[in-house]
Order: sequence, then C-alpha cells, then structure tokens
Amino acid sequence: MYLILAQSAKTTWWQSLFSGMSPASFFNFSFLPKYLSFFWQGLVYTLLLSVLSVLVAVIPALLLALGRLSKSKAIKGITGGYIAVFRSTPLLVQLYIIYFGLFGLIKIPSHTILGFIDISRFIPGICALALNSSAYVAEIFRAGILAVDAGQTEAARSLGLSGWQAMKLVVLPQAIKNVLPALANEVVTMVKESSICMTLGMMELMWGAKTVAGTTYITIAPYVLVAIIYFAINFPASKAIEAVERRMRRGDRKV
Amino acid sequence: MEKQDNESLISVRELKKYFNDGEIKALDGITVDINKGDVMVVIGPSGGGKSTFLRSLNLLEVPTSGQIIFEGVDITKKKSDDGKKLDLPLHRRKIGMVFQHFNLFPHKTILQNMTLAPMKTKGLSQAEAEEKALALLERVGLKDRADAYPSQLSGGQKQRVAIVRALAMEPDVMLFDEPTSALDPEMVGEVLAVMKELAKSGMTMVVVTHEMGFAKEVGNRILFISEGKIVEEGTPDQIFNDPQSPRLQDFLSKVLI
Ligand SMILES: Nc1ncnc2c1ncn2[C@@H]1O[C@H](COP(=O)(O)OP(=O)(O)OP(=O)(O)O)[C@@H](O)[C@H]1O
Ligand SMILES: [Mg+2]
Repeated sequence: MYLILAQSAKTTWWQSLFSGMSPASFFNFSFLPKYLSFFWQGLVYTLLLSVLSVLVAVIPALLLALGRLSKSKAIKGITGGYIAVFRSTPLLVQLYIIYFGLFGLIKIPSHTILGFIDISRFIPGICALALNSSAYVAEIFRAGILAVDAGQTEAARSLGLSGWQAMKLVVLPQAIKNVLPALANEVVTMVKESSICMTLGMMELMWGAKTVAGTTYITIAPYVLVAIIYFAINFPASKAIEAVERRMRRGDRKV
Repeated sequence: MEKQDNESLISVRELKKYFNDGEIKALDGITVDINKGDVMVVIGPSGGGKSTFLRSLNLLEVPTSGQIIFEGVDITKKKSDDGKKLDLPLHRRKIGMVFQHFNLFPHKTILQNMTLAPMKTKGLSQAEAEEKALALLERVGLKDRADAYPSQLSGGQKQRVAIVRALAMEPDVMLFDEPTSALDPEMVGEVLAVMKELAKSGMTMVVVTHEMGFAKEVGNRILFISEGKIVEEGTPDQIFNDPQSPRLQDFLSKVLI
C-alpha cells in the first residue's frame, strides 16, 4: 500500500529530501526468505549474551554490594571505586579495553558452539557485559539489602546468630526476592546494550542486520526488522515485570 | 568465667549512651543490678531512654561508656583483661529479646522461625529443634500454626511466637520492649498472659511497658527512667502507692487515670 501511495503522489520538494527512502524501503523485507537464519541465530546469540552476562554478574554484584555495606573503609572504597568506574564510562569503551586488553593476554581458542557462536569472541563479550552489569546489579542488591527492615537483623542477632549468618539466612533471602524484578529489568537492558558486541564481530541480532544490509543493499529494512524484534521481546517483558512487581508490593505486610 | 556476684545476673555500671556526638544523652549514667528471678518493669516518659537501656543489655546499642557485666563477663569490652576476645553471639544466645514489632522472619514458617537459631548456633539436629519448638508452641496454644507463615497470624499470635522463638534458645534472661504496644487492644491480654506465666516459671525478665496493671501485678521491681537516668526504683507498692519524686508523681498522674 505504501508503495502505491509513493508512486502515485506527485514529487514535491520535501519528497526529494527523502529520495531513495520511500516508506516502502522501511518495510522491504524481501531479504527474509534467504537471510532468515541471520536473524534467528542473531536472536539466540543476543539472548544468550544478555541472560548469561547478568547471571554471571550476580555473584560479583553480591560481593560488591556487601563490600559497599562493609564497615571497613578500604573495602568500601575499593568496591565503590569499581562501581563508579563501570557506571561512569561507556560500555563500548569497557568492551574494547576488556576485549583487546584482558583477552589480548588470555587467548581463548577459536571453537564454535551451536554452529554459529565462536567462543573466542563470545566469552570476552560475556565477561565485558558481566563486569559492567555487576556494577549496576550491585547497586540493586545494595538497595534491596537496605530495604529489609533493620528489625530483622536485630532479631537475628539477638538470637545469637553472627553478623554473617544474619545476612545470609535472614536478610539476603528477603532482599533477593525483592530485587528479582530489578534483576529481570537488567536483563532487558542487556538485551539492548549487547548490540554493541556487533562491533567486535559477535554474530548477535544487530550484526545480522548489518550483514544482511551490506550484502543485499537493502539498507533500512533489516534494521527496522531488528528494532521490531528487540521491541517484541523487551516491551512484553517489561510489562510482565511491572505486573509481578505490583503483585509483590500488594503482598507485602508487616510481620 | 568467674561469678563475681552471687545472685546478680546483669550488673549495669554508670552506663551512658550518647547520640549525635553527645547532643542527645539517651542514657546518662545508669547503675542497676538485675538479679536472678527478677521481673523488672521499666517505666517512664517517651524518649526517656527505656528502649536504649534495654537494647544496650544485649549490645544492639553499643554504649558510649560504662559497663554491663553479664554472668561475670563485661560484654562492653571487646577483649577481657586476660586477653580473651569477647564472643558476643555466645552471650546474646543467653539473652532473649522480644520487640514491639515482633520481627518474625517473614520468609520462614513459624516452626522454621523457631528452629533456625537453635540449629545454626547450638548445633541441634532438625528433629531435636523441632521437637522443642513444638513443645513451646503448645505451651502458648499455637502448635497447630507451626507450618503457617507469620503473615497468616494475628498480631497477638505473632508476638506469642516471638516470645517462644526467643525461649527456644533457652536464655537466662528475657528482655521485652513494649511487647503489647503494637497490638489491637483485644490481643494485649493473650500476650500478657504468656508473659505472666513465664514470670511464674521463674524466668528473669526486664520488661519495658506502659501496662501499669502488669507492672503492679507481675513485677517485683519497678524502674522509673526519665531523661536517661533512674529517677526512682522500688517495689510496685513503693512506686505506685508512695512515689517520692515529683517527676514520677507527675508521670503516674498521667498514666493512671
Ligand atoms: N539511633 C538513634 N539516633 C539518635 N537518637 C536516638 C536513637 N535512638 C534513640 N535516640 C534518642 O534517644 C532518646 C531515648 O530514646 P529511647 O528510644 O530509648 O526512649 P524510650 O524511653 O524508649 O521512648 P518510647 O517510650 O517513645 O519508646 C530519645 O531522645 C531518642 O530520640
Ligand atoms: Mg522505646
């Protein structure tokens, strides 16, 4: 339909501004039958990158959060510094430093899994995303721990549990339950952010779009398609997380 | 661990607790002996330092100065004179505490609330800990709620669980900080009844409360604390029928209507 509209309209000055960019070119998905595999493989790659990097980030993030809440000034300073650095520099820069710096020293042999994931790129990618994500997740955990009523720790300590036992057995289980929605949101963020891994040749969604665009000379539609795919994943996911959050808030009662 | 006093369970000496760099003197030199079997009721105006006093006894509040000698050990010192490190959790196990807002663990069932600390700190097996917990729950009429979660209980039931949770550690003394203040009026009685029974069984208790009826009936010593100091101390008869200080007289005229 767009095609017909574009052709039947008389060319005006503003149309010449967009020459070669008829609305149809946004939705020219003629490349799909031939290049479908680029997109679904890209999707699998993207999802693996984002889910795994957040999972890998959980333990370091927990340690960072505990460090931030530690009484020791040194530990507080070191963990605070880490978080500040990773939150205040671009992810792309971090990715390059970790890929060429850290993994310039540690060589990972080229080996392909699932037929399209080269671990010599994938593992550095996960590491970079996880190191970045741990700084954000640490702040999520810290807020979650602080949100647990101080009376819980006091009750645990008054029963003779040590500080660490009180944290592990009483505070953390409640904190983690409270931060699960925020953690899921971090995965949603990573689904988007992981697109920068394209620049290092990781064959995720964005890389698929760029490659298809380059081979077919269809320059816009592949990107539109991946935008649709990103949206179709993240929007429902965010809505579902919101719903869970609302239900959790309603379930909260003082005990 | 040498016993320094024959009957004194907790000796408090010149206890001071300042907040905001000394701007607030929550405790300003408290000296008192709590003896075995005492039911000491602490009364006084709001902000007088009652909670701070109670919370200092198990070091939830770290005193600014002074001593707390519990069963012969000064628990305010991180290291004793002979160089032994203080094992604070060990002492806290012998000091049960009940809070105004219950502070049950919401992610654990009633039974798990009660067995957690005995299993983790005293090495009891699950079976042993559960047997003991169920016996205690039976004592307060809540055995059938063992598998419920705290959020499924009424306020009065929660507080009764909180009391037996502390008792499961077999403490030598129980501290209560306004245990009935957060309850609906119709639930106050059931909690006070449990506390009364506990007092009868010989438990040493320190109770901060506004329930003057309980103080008169169950307490054997009343402590009137105001502005961080013990203003007056005596038997219920002395405190309620023959108050000496104007501040206590004024306080009583407000609470005993
Ligand atoms: N963590 C704290 N930081 C600063 N000030 C505090 C803190 N805890 C208590 N205070 C202050 O110490 C004083 C004594 O407080 P405390 O809670 O012991 O009084 P209380 O007798 O228990 O009062 P209430 O009957 O209202 O419970 C008050 O002035 C209070 O504001
Ligand atoms: Mg108080």
